[in-house]
Amino acid sequence: MRLVVVSAGLSVPSSTRLLGDRLAAATAERTDAEVQVVELRDLAVEIAHHLTNGFPGPRLSSALDAVTAADGLIVVTPVFSASYSGLFKSFFDVLDRDALAGKPVLVAATGGTARHSLVLEHALRPLFAYLRAIVVPTAVYAASEDWGAEGLAGRVERAAGELAGLMGGLRGGLRGGASESVSESVSESASESASASESESAPELTSASSSEPVLRGTGAALPDVVPFAQQLAALSPSRGA
Amino acid sequence: MMQFGIFSVGDVTPDPTTGRTPTERERIKAMVAIARKAEEVGLDVFATGEHHNPPFVPSSPTTMLGWIAARTERLVLSTATTLITTNDPVKIAEDYAMLQHLADGRVDLMMGRGNTGPVYPWFGQDIRQGINLAIENYALLRRLWREDVVNWEGTFRTPLQGFTSTPRPMDGVPPFVWHGSIRSPEIAEQAAYYGDGFFHNNIFWPASHTQQMVELYRTRYAHYGHGTPEQAIVGLGGHVFMRRNSQDAVREFRPYFDVAPVYGHGPSLEDFMDQTPLTVGTPEQVIEKTLAFRKYAGDYQRQLFLVDHAGLPLKTVLEQIDLLGEEVVPVLREEFAKGRPADVPDAPTHQSLLAAAHDKQAHDRQANDKQPNGKGGEPAEEVRTA
Repeated sequence: MRLVVVSAGLSVPSSTRLLGDRLAAATAERTDAEVQVVELRDLAVEIAHHLTNGFPGPRLSSALDAVTAADGLIVVTPVFSASYSGLFKSFFDVLDRDALAGKPVLVAATGGTARHSLVLEHALRPLFAYLRAIVVPTAVYAASEDWGAEGLAGRVERAAGELAGLMGGLRGGLRGGASESVSESVSESASESASASESESAPELTSASSSEPVLRGTGAALPDVVPFAQQLAALSPSRGA
Repeated sequence: MMQFGIFSVGDVTPDPTTGRTPTERERIKAMVAIARKAEEVGLDVFATGEHHNPPFVPSSPTTMLGWIAARTERLVLSTATTLITTNDPVKIAEDYAMLQHLADGRVDLMMGRGNTGPVYPWFGQDIRQGINLAIENYALLRRLWREDVVNWEGTFRTPLQGFTSTPRPMDGVPPFVWHGSIRSPEIAEQAAYYGDGFFHNNIFWPASHTQQMVELYRTRYAHYGHGTPEQAIVGLGGHVFMRRNSQDAVREFRPYFDVAPVYGHGPSLEDFMDQTPLTVGTPEQVIEKTLAFRKYAGDYQRQLFLVDHAGLPLKTVLEQIDLLGEEVVPVLREEFAKGRPADVPDAPTHQSLLAAAHDKQAHDRQANDKQPNGKGGEPAEEVRTA
């Protein structure tokens, strides 16, 4: 299994990275996961260029691939102006919209004061809900004082346990089911209407089997594509008939 | 043979070295001068963009291409791209059939969706329906060119009853169609389904992405029975600035690159050259980079170069086209021909499509003669080049 930590800490050393490492170590203890850390600081310029040019540079590209391929994700941001940092958000802005669908994600944040701890619930959790990730119930916030206080270790352990459980559990069951239903929802309406219009005499529409599943090209790297006849049939005005 | 040409976006951009912005009239006249120059130096294709917002001038492609048609003899006139989403497919059918007659068949089109959000509502459409508009509108356009009387009902447009699009396509052969897309697999799939051409405008994209999109198109082209993956009709873009000495090219082009609307203020010129097809250097460097496209896209049919944007003065642009015609394209023609399998088709032209249509008619007649009960009459198979 692959566990990826995305850290948006800016200083070196960084307490954001430190929190990410502790969460990763606690999760790795409970799984056989290999841990990879993506430091957004090193990718800041490539992320900005991606925003203006529309394509990722080589290092950003491999980071995006690693996140997409991960079985579980730990994301950690410092709190800037009462929310996640702009760099943190920009990374998820350039990530493919479906990359996190069905993926277990542990959200965490650091800040100078505990007063911002609900940023996790008000900002990070909705962001990852939008991306259709499965966010673990315990989100971990570390204010400066937490590094010298009771309690942080317990929250790290609880969150890591939840993430490990989801990674193990989803891998065989829920996760596979979730990603299948993602594909189905893309083609569902198309295949329904394709079969509905089969009775009509439209030679172009029946030249490809309407029951053809969503295809993956021969090479593993080719993008998914809905068969054209399904796309076309979905637009037929008589599809309700 | 492979086709080489120029494609223009038609942007009006200040020249950063002088601060001067050309007038719209100057830019329009520059575009047609560029097209005439392309023919003069022996290039095959000129393609204009279509835009409906500043700073772009080419909102009326068939007006411009009609003017160019009257002043050229050989040049194939095309688009990059025709907005199949926001234009009425009926008007596309009429306008380009008219252009095809006036240009004696020297016309093809590249369909594109357009990625400027506000253009859709200005034309009464919704960008979220972009793919569906491209699919429905093109399906109708094909029928308008292939059926004399069309009855049609769809999702996006007023129904048609007993409609005949005039003029009918020249010799009964509609213009060849390319589908341009940068990252939508649905469009590669559409091109493959119909056996049309697929143009990947790769100029801002790394080779790995282009390879993936072209491979998807080739695989699906074969899936739909139009030929082998290697026989699919592929076009690519390119983006060049040349001087005899590569340092001179870089020095002259850098101020344009650094503030150009599309890539200025981003990665360095060097990074951009490293990661995309952009070549700023000598004609030999352009030859080397362009020949390498074949390594990841396979043997292909059409290569278009972007040479006239970012505020470059017309004189400089015409010098670029001279270099392309005199030094680059002759070598590319020769080198691309080497090792090109005999069954990889040439770029389709009106003549080749017409010949293929005649062959098919003769073949169908024979088949009908052999089977008196008329079983040979398959539903209209698409005319393709051999």
